Amino acid sequence: MKDLMPLLLGIAGTLFFSWAGLTLIPNVQIGHLEPQMDEEGNDAYPLPQSGMVERGRKVYVANGCVYCHTQQVRADYAGSDIDRKWGERRSAPRDYIFDRPVLLGKMRTGPDLANIGKRAPAEDQNAAPAAVNSPTPASASAPAASAARGGSSPAAGSSLSPAAVAAAAAGNASPSPSATAVANLPVAGASPPADVAAVGNSPAASAAPSAAVASAGSSPATSAATAASSPAVATAGTSPAASASMITTSPPATAPSPAVASAGTSPAPSAPAAANPAANAATSLDAAPATGGPLQYSAAWHHQHLYDPRSINPDSIMPAFRFLYDKRKVSGQRAADAVQLVGHDSARDGWEIVPTYDARCLVAYLMSRDQSHALNEVKSVTPPSPPAPGKAAK
Amino acid sequence: MTPTELPLSHPGRSAALAQSSAEVTAGEVENVERALIDASTRVPVLMFYTSAIVWLLIGTLLGGFTSFRLHMPDMFSGIAFLTWGRIRPAHMNVMVFGWASMVGIGTAIWLMARLCRTTLRHPLLLVGGAALWNLGVLLGVGGILAGGSTGYQWLEFPRYAAVVLFVAYTLIISWAFMMFRFRRAGPVYVTQWYLIAAFLWFPWLYGAAQVMLFFAPVQGVMQAAVNWWFANNLMFLWFGSIALGTAYYMIPKVIGRPVYSYHLAAIGFWTYAFFASWTGMQRQVDGPFPAWMVTASIAALIFTIIPVATVGLNHHMTMRGYFPLMRYSPTLRFTVFGAIAYTVFSAVGVLISLRSLARYTHFTQASIGFSHLGLYAFYTMVMFGSMYYIVPRLVGREWRYASLIKLHFWASTYGVSLMILMLLVGGLVQGISMDNPALSFSESTQSVLPYLRGRSVSGILLTVAHFVFAFHFGLMLFGLGRTDRVPTFLNPQQEAQNTH
Repeated sequence: MKDLMPLLLGIAGTLFFSWAGLTLIPNVQIGHLEPQMDEEGNDAYPLPQSGMVERGRKVYVANGCVYCHTQQVRADYAGSDIDRKWGERRSAPRDYIFDRPVLLGKMRTGPDLANIGKRAPAEDQNAAPAAVNSPTPASASAPAASAARGGSSPAAGSSLSPAAVAAAAAGNASPSPSATAVANLPVAGASPPADVAAVGNSPAASAAPSAAVASAGSSPATSAATAASSPAVATAGTSPAASASMITTSPPATAPSPAVASAGTSPAPSAPAAANPAANAATSLDAAPATGGPLQYSAAWHHQHLYDPRSINPDSIMPAFRFLYDKRKVSGQRAADAVQLVGHDSARDGWEIVPTYDARCLVAYLMSRDQSHALNEVKSVTPPSPPAPGKAAK
Repeated sequence: MTPTELPLSHPGRSAALAQSSAEVTAGEVENVERALIDASTRVPVLMFYTSAIVWLLIGTLLGGFTSFRLHMPDMFSGIAFLTWGRIRPAHMNVMVFGWASMVGIGTAIWLMARLCRTTLRHPLLLVGGAALWNLGVLLGVGGILAGGSTGYQWLEFPRYAAVVLFVAYTLIISWAFMMFRFRRAGPVYVTQWYLIAAFLWFPWLYGAAQVMLFFAPVQGVMQAAVNWWFANNLMFLWFGSIALGTAYYMIPKVIGRPVYSYHLAAIGFWTYAFFASWTGMQRQVDGPFPAWMVTASIAALIFTIIPVATVGLNHHMTMRGYFPLMRYSPTLRFTVFGAIAYTVFSAVGVLISLRSLARYTHFTQASIGFSHLGLYAFYTMVMFGSMYYIVPRLVGREWRYASLIKLHFWASTYGVSLMILMLLVGGLVQGISMDNPALSFSESTQSVLPYLRGRSVSGILLTVAHFVFAFHFGLMLFGLGRTDRVPTFLNPQQEAQNTH
């Protein structure tokens, strides 16, 4: 028995040491964080989420999304997360204080989702004002923003196309942070089945399918780093700063061009125009839908993606979550949130595919993923603060 | 000397016994005693083994399904409980709690009885524990498939299943300590250190994780820290300890030599307990944690080279000159494979957690490869080896077909080697594409797809191996083994005797 005590004590002691070292002590350090506020006690971040979002988290957990998707952005020196536009700064413990279970993930069989909600087109967050203007034929056929916003533009600096330059210029010229630039635009929603297309009501927008205009709102964060090589970008803003910079910096872009990406505001003949060869060739998830679908990362886009991932990206290996959707006969009008399918999978006449409540919660959860709020303890890579020396250039 | 049952109960005394022919009668007495001890463990150990093998088959099918679904994503997309994100945690948990834990407990019971040299008291306690454990795993897997996963890796079982598991475990452990309490006087052998440690560490790990995640949950990212502390230590301190303890018994036992050095064994044990328990956070390298946590884990992982080297050296020196016996003894072949895989496991673990390489392997299939290296190539292979040794002593029959054992060994070896190669190399390729922001994200998944198809092929090999083994085990269970005095060798025994 005498030689047994050291054994048992050693066994208990070693595990206690690691238990204390890796869980108890860090818990003192980062286990009791409060939301961050400004001096006046406003602008709290993060905030507890709504019930729908929390239910969506359960759906996310139940279906094992975490086994393929992380929700963490590494610092710029540790990986290319920030270069991939998955976030503007690295994630910090404070970002997760209300998350239970916390879903950091350990695999990236699919892209990171830490800021998937941030990447959503702003229309979705401002759905009410957006619906004010009813679509006129002119605006419906306008080269609206879906392709551009969705990121088929080779924006973000890796390309030298005029459109990209214009987009960047517009983003910089706007006095407001780029995140809110789009929200400030009085955009018009199109008809319900296509409520995702942003249509500007500036003269430039109605001026036609031939006008390629840089999107003021597509900040580098919302655009794909490398996508289709089509220079086609389209949107219209009434923000003077934005349109001014567009006009001044990209006169060639206003010339009629076959590469104009026409938005899928309607299932009308204009949709195929978006399917220019370059867009079709793009195999990236980051690429815009080849034919007029919902705006990338909008709620409708998420529903279509969950229902049939390969209709958006043929190379995706994400499982389809069809059990989250109901197929039912249309009674009266089509449901506003029915999944807009294109091609072979579109529901037959008289039928529609509508998301269940769980699916809507899941999408609400995805749309809530946003770590763009600045944290005092973390250096942001992009403005509002001036770029950090050295690092930002990468 | 043949690699058969040796007239030695304690490897430490083998040299003394072998030299003295006057003690042969004492050896015979021990033989009878040992047969009695083995007989007393028969029902519970066979129950654990049988359950484990059933779970192994279920887990293998689930794993194969997971693997194929990755490159055929449209299969069964309309059925909720067959979706990839539910099958995959079901596979992991069936393997961890159904197969690996149950086979480990079975082997540990038998080893403890042997090493304490005492018959098993109250086997019903263990039978009840095994039944309850099965119930817990069944409830847990059902819960996951029904959408009740908790979302924490290796802890996905819903809370009710975890409670059942914990009660079952209490029954099992109370028995183990009772046996230890009634052990025959004598030095405590290395294997016993590892087993006692494993039996104490498991409830601590599982209990602490349950409390900190569910009953008094910690905030935010600390949940992930607790989760990885648990998952990594479950691999190292629970499965790793059982496997190392088993190897420390089986290798000397089969070849009939004492362990090379007890001092090395002690160093190996304590450094293992000390350093391996600090790993875990390297799985979240550069995540939203204070950097010191990740760095501490990486440093600890580097320091695990010390126990790996000492244990490896000890086994190697014990085996020196006896490696040809691997040609005949199935136990030795599986165990030595596992022991070598342990070295590889640690080396790969160190490599992929170094920050410079983790940049490319983090978040990729390489981490799955690493898990399989530990849980399969190391742990499971050692357990297979122990079963080939123990089962004949429980049922009183020898394995029926040497050819089936060979098939099992080669299918497992090639299967798991191919799987790990595919996942590690594929993960690296995936990570390199992912690290290049000029490539679209789907390039990274596309680049790993060929490797995932290769992994599916390896899964087929493993499925063959497991069904062959289950069939063979079934024959033994139903008394269809050979009634021979000589164990089943992989190659004719005549050769075996000639080598010495």
